[in-house]
Amino acid sequence: MTKGDTTTNPETDITWEVRANNRHFHKHRQQRSFLCFRWGRYADNVVRSFKYSPLTFLPLTLYEQFQRVANLYFLLMVVMQCVPAISSIPWYTTTIPLVIVLSVRGLKDLTNDLARRRSDSQINRRPSDVLISQSFSPSQWKDVCVGDVLRIHKDQIIPADLLLLCSSEPHSLCYVETADIDGETNLKYRQALDATHTEMTSDPTEQTLAAFDGIVLCEEPNSHLYTFRGELRWRGERHPLDSEHILLRGTVLRNTDTAFGMAIYTGSDSKILRNVGRLRVKMTQIEKVLNKVVIGIVLFILLMALLLAVGSGVFQGRVLSQIEVLSALTRGNSPIYTAFLTFWSYVILLSPAMPMSLYITFEMIHVLHSLFIGWDIEMRGGVERSIPAQARNTSLNEELGQVGHLLSDKTGTLTQNRLLFRQCCIAGDIYGDASISAEESQTLDLSWNPFSCGGLYLSDQRLVDKLRGQQCTQSRQFLTTLALCHTVMTEWKNGAPVYQAASPDEEALVGAARELGWVFLSRTRDSLTVSELGLKRHYQLLTLLDFTSQRRRMSVLVREPEGGLKLYCKGADIVILERLQKDCPHLESTERALDLFAQFSLRTLCIAERTVSEAKWEEWSKTMAQAVMTTRNRDDMLERLHDDMERDLKLLGVTAIEDRLQDEVPETISMLRQAGLKVWVLTGDKKETVVNIGYACRLLDPDTRLLEGDELRQLLQSPDPEITFSKGKETELWCVDRERAGEKSALVLTGPELAEFDARPEWGARFMSLAGLCQSVLCCRVTPGQKADVVTLVRKNTTSIIMAIGDGANDVNMIKTAHIGVGLAGVEGGQAVQNADYTLAKFSFLQRLLLVHGRWSYRRIAVFLRYFLYKTCSFALVHIWFGFFNGFSAQSLYENWFIFLYTVFYTAMPVECLGIFEQDVSAECSLSWPELYKVGQRQELFNTWLLAATLLHAFYTSLVLFFMPLGVFYNSALDYQTMAVTVSIALLFSATIEIILLTRHWTKWSVAAMCVSFGLFFVCTPITHSPKLFEKSPVDYYFPGVSQNAFPNPVVWFTALLTAWTAVLPSFTIHTLNIILTNPDKHRVHITKHGPVELQKSGFRRGDSHRRSSYAMSQGRGIGRLITSGASHRSTAPPVDRRGTLGENVTLAGQTQSDDAPKNITEIDSSK
Amino acid sequence: MMKEELETTNRPDNTAFTQQRLPAWQPMLSAGIVIPGFVLIGLAFIGIGVALFITSQNITVLEKDYTGVETTSDCYKCSNPSDKNCTCKLEFSLSNLFEGPVFFYYGLSNYFQSQRSYGASKDEYQLSGDLDYFKTPISACSPYQYDANQNPIVPCGSLANSMFNDTFKLYQIVNGTKKLVPFDGKGIAWWTDYNIKYRNPSVTPLKNAFNGTVKPSFWSKPAYELDTSDPSNNGFVNQDFLVWMRRAALPDFRKLYRRITEGDYARGLPAGNYSLEIAYNYPVLSFGGRKKVVFSNVSWMGGKNQFLGIAYLVVGSLCVVMSMVMLIVYAKFKFPEDD
Repeated sequence: MTKGDTTTNPETDITWEVRANNRHFHKHRQQRSFLCFRWGRYADNVVRSFKYSPLTFLPLTLYEQFQRVANLYFLLMVVMQCVPAISSIPWYTTTIPLVIVLSVRGLKDLTNDLARRRSDSQINRRPSDVLISQSFSPSQWKDVCVGDVLRIHKDQIIPADLLLLCSSEPHSLCYVETADIDGETNLKYRQALDATHTEMTSDPTEQTLAAFDGIVLCEEPNSHLYTFRGELRWRGERHPLDSEHILLRGTVLRNTDTAFGMAIYTGSDSKILRNVGRLRVKMTQIEKVLNKVVIGIVLFILLMALLLAVGSGVFQGRVLSQIEVLSALTRGNSPIYTAFLTFWSYVILLSPAMPMSLYITFEMIHVLHSLFIGWDIEMRGGVERSIPAQARNTSLNEELGQVGHLLSDKTGTLTQNRLLFRQCCIAGDIYGDASISAEESQTLDLSWNPFSCGGLYLSDQRLVDKLRGQQCTQSRQFLTTLALCHTVMTEWKNGAPVYQAASPDEEALVGAARELGWVFLSRTRDSLTVSELGLKRHYQLLTLLDFTSQRRRMSVLVREPEGGLKLYCKGADIVILERLQKDCPHLESTERALDLFAQFSLRTLCIAERTVSEAKWEEWSKTMAQAVMTTRNRDDMLERLHDDMERDLKLLGVTAIEDRLQDEVPETISMLRQAGLKVWVLTGDKKETVVNIGYACRLLDPDTRLLEGDELRQLLQSPDPEITFSKGKETELWCVDRERAGEKSALVLTGPELAEFDARPEWGARFMSLAGLCQSVLCCRVTPGQKADVVTLVRKNTTSIIMAIGDGANDVNMIKTAHIGVGLAGVEGGQAVQNADYTLAKFSFLQRLLLVHGRWSYRRIAVFLRYFLYKTCSFALVHIWFGFFNGFSAQSLYENWFIFLYTVFYTAMPVECLGIFEQDVSAECSLSWPELYKVGQRQELFNTWLLAATLLHAFYTSLVLFFMPLGVFYNSALDYQTMAVTVSIALLFSATIEIILLTRHWTKWSVAAMCVSFGLFFVCTPITHSPKLFEKSPVDYYFPGVSQNAFPNPVVWFTALLTAWTAVLPSFTIHTLNIILTNPDKHRVHITKHGPVELQKSGFRRGDSHRRSSYAMSQGRGIGRLITSGASHRSTAPPVDRRGTLGENVTLAGQTQSDDAPKNITEIDSSK
Repeated sequence: MMKEELETTNRPDNTAFTQQRLPAWQPMLSAGIVIPGFVLIGLAFIGIGVALFITSQNITVLEKDYTGVETTSDCYKCSNPSDKNCTCKLEFSLSNLFEGPVFFYYGLSNYFQSQRSYGASKDEYQLSGDLDYFKTPISACSPYQYDANQNPIVPCGSLANSMFNDTFKLYQIVNGTKKLVPFDGKGIAWWTDYNIKYRNPSVTPLKNAFNGTVKPSFWSKPAYELDTSDPSNNGFVNQDFLVWMRRAALPDFRKLYRRITEGDYARGLPAGNYSLEIAYNYPVLSFGGRKKVVFSNVSWMGGKNQFLGIAYLVVGSLCVVMSMVMLIVYAKFKFPEDD
């Protein structure tokens, strides 16, 4: 899926050359650009997410704005008004508004761009230590150049893609947190090449680093986060490089004091920025429809003007020539020329059908809706509700009411990235209660434990009593396992151990053990120190059988201080349960506990132990040593050996960990599902975690079937997956109701599978049709680029609006690609926020954002636009009909002042109020009836047909507006000006009645606006008709005394009333029919007070298929091998010098015994 | 950090407006309200329609075409445009009293007073008595701006030039003698036109103001001699001129010529024979136009207007019929109301 996959030729593209400490070489080839020209090869390390430069701002913004058909049309009008032969209104009346419209939008874009510039420069100014002439000097990210050697400190963000040269840790290991890149929360290790490690750590570092003159040859910059190919040529040797040696920009260095690296890709060449995607201008569905309609209206106007112009030509030829008084007025112009002039005059006369004020008001309402979002106190989050929701892009509000697909990130968005030890089951007894939320659970009195530092959310005094009471061995062993069986490392801070774990699950388990008195103090490569209820005990670590995704378990074999050998094991329930000794006690009750934990979506691990005899160990370790030496079938052999050791286990209990969800996530998702949204989860995390979260946040129902892997592939390969899918379901037992088969399944897709879609384009559509049947799709192991590809996939194959929500840099691309991007203002970097259209403090605010603000916005803007077009079109099209009675001479039927004030004063405010205040139902009702949201998804309030109907109504209204008064005025003594006023009044009446029919929510403002604008007509008209003004300027106020004469005339009023009523009769009828036919439903919404949406606690069926037992380890293998590598295999590797700069308080494998700690790096590599 | 600072500074008040909780009235309309409403509106329209129709029926109108197209017509002789100062007669008899006050109109059809350039072809400044524009009328008047000798035309423009210039005299034939029916030509134009829109220059005598100007080519008399009987009814404030200058909206129109309010005829035109003497000057046949005279009395709603009453009746009935249809629809498809 990721672009570049196909273009990358694996053999020939190792062309990117980076020379260490050679700025001169690279500076010459640095990328530069002027306007649209670019040259040079290496990007600098400056982020430029902004669009405009002082030079390009004007042309770019004009280009963007004139992509709106309406703006082009207005420009045409402006140009025409400057031609005196055609112009009927002074040039400035349209020029100034157009300039205002263009400059307001331009300025808005500019401020957004300046904000991006600011955030860019913030990033560019981040500090970084660059090695310049023998010493590290503090400089900024933007100064980093390819080939520079950098020093990274602990917890610093890495400024560019670096080749790790060495680190302060033994073997130049270092740990990075990649949460910002792939959403995975566990730490990953990176390791420097042996060659560089040995060299760099031997001598005073800075000098050796400065003298480093290696040349890296590698791939051209690309977007693949997990691969890297290249080689280091140094001192005549070639060292192959892969992604293990690379520190990616945006990752954070953890657990490592300092690391040194050489910049390979900087700035826009770096992998994360390659994944960021392009900034694009987003346009809403409604705006697209509007654009189409605007084109339609403009074409209609042009066509009508053309027909009228033809009419005027014919009229001049046939009629005018015979009337001396009129024919003289043509001044000898030919009929064709007259027709030409008339054409343009009619274009101007009909142009109010598409007024600029529509766009001005549209924009204004957008801004207000955005402000409403920011003002909403119920969408404020953070400490003391200090972070409001924010609409960074003000023009997408109505689309919030139409979202059909919600694509969500997992880590930080759905989950808090906090794992809590909530329950456990020891010897069949269940401790803790997960039905009480973690915050509400009582805290235990753990003052007896000097190491306790809080964070235990399992409150069960019974357990503590049992543990301290010394009588229950099983519970003690359970905790011993938790304290021993892991790969956690300790770091001492303020006299207390701080745990650094590769897996957050382990951290939670070890932390829980610490709270309960089994404090893991420190580890060396072959020993573990644990304080058990204050008693310090040293365990000798004999072997550590690490976690892999195939094994799904890990064990430690230790020698107890007393001398006995014990195997402690933890792992997924299926794996452990099948390895238990016969007639294991408490099996029944433990299985019940597993089911119970699954009900609360807790992640479970089974804990077991085994006593191993000395002889067995001797024999096993010997076989192990042999197995390691063999080269053939070694993996199989190891597997068998592991199995041999991990059997006849004795079940101790089950741990249950809660992957803490963000507040109200299940409620929100369940509500959004009721509202008809498809919620998908896209994450870089591994499958088990995602699936577990899917169940936990009610995205999947407990009995939802997962379609994944080969099964999914089979479906995709069949030409018609939907049929195959539903057929397949018939035969399966789990499907009770065939109709609902789709609703009870979900698709699980992994990144590599997604990559296959690239080669098989037909899969995309099939996948989407399948996804349409299923309740959700979970995508795991996907890169940021692939997240965006999924968005594109959905965009291509459905018409629905896609919203993407995320919080990290890995979500930026997806956020940019989706119709609407939402960023969570969380702790991570803020990159997502910078690129998002909306920012929220919490996921659960989506409820209000979509169901309340979005739904209202959609309704308001849809009704607003429909009404606006109605009132302007019916107003302008009257001139077409009048043309037949004035010789097609482009005579206006209205006073100029009325034309001007009609859109500005007489009809503007009520529709603005409608656009601002309208609510069909209250916020509470919107939330308790999520189904109401479907109106927007189905585009029921604004679509081409509805608009066509509106325009048809406007057309009809214009007919009525002209021909009703015609009937009255024909062959009467009433003059043109009286007729003009009569039609104006009728028009005002019908526009007002129409808005009264549309307004459902009458605030005092709406009432006032209605009265004021209606009254304004009767104030302004006499003013513009006043003798005083006429005397000042007879040409501008050319209707003196008309209202004085027309207003007392009852015929005028009767005509206006009849005309207006006839004009609105169709819409009135439709409204009435609507009320008659649908009212009971709406009525119910209004009168019924619903409680908040309840989560259904579905009856849980007993059965292992719903249990989810695993832990959030990395997709690959654990780091246990690193910890124990020396202990397990002390053979082939060359000895390692230990003169590293080691942190004093870091206790890591090999630190204390690095003399005899040969590290088998190749072992690690080969085992991958 | 920056975000928080920014946010706390512009934290808005928790007002009803910002929280979109303004108290509001949401009318809950139901079929029980809208259908009777529809009926009521329909009935109201029918009521108005009946009133308008009856009022209109009570108005008497006498309309006579005098274009002279038919050879039988006395005016046929005048239809030749080359015939100047032609006079023709139009005779009619009234069997009943034509109740007064009687309004006397002339009517033109197929005459496009609403043509844009025609309507624009006048000089508002000149017509409001600005002497500067007597010398140089605005170009909108062209080609009726200057005559062949470059003398300014006052009043300039096509609209003024084409002023209706047929004149009428009505006689009642009483025992074979003709008795002139007195016409009242005062106040037939709008008060605002007479007092504000049109002004003569404040030059006495008025004639002097027109020195150096020429009359419109179509006119037989200059503007200051339009009404020889009443000196104050001359120039731009001549009532006939004002009536003409007020453009009609549609190609078929009437304009008020005189009122019959005086003497024996104050109560109306008694039954009898009448003869209308027409000074036939205005050519309309060239473009297929028609000229007519109309006698009409008026009601509170002005002249006779059948259309309005009928339209009200039609629309009102439509509403009633539609509400019946809705009632049927409602009865057939109504959903059970939940409590």
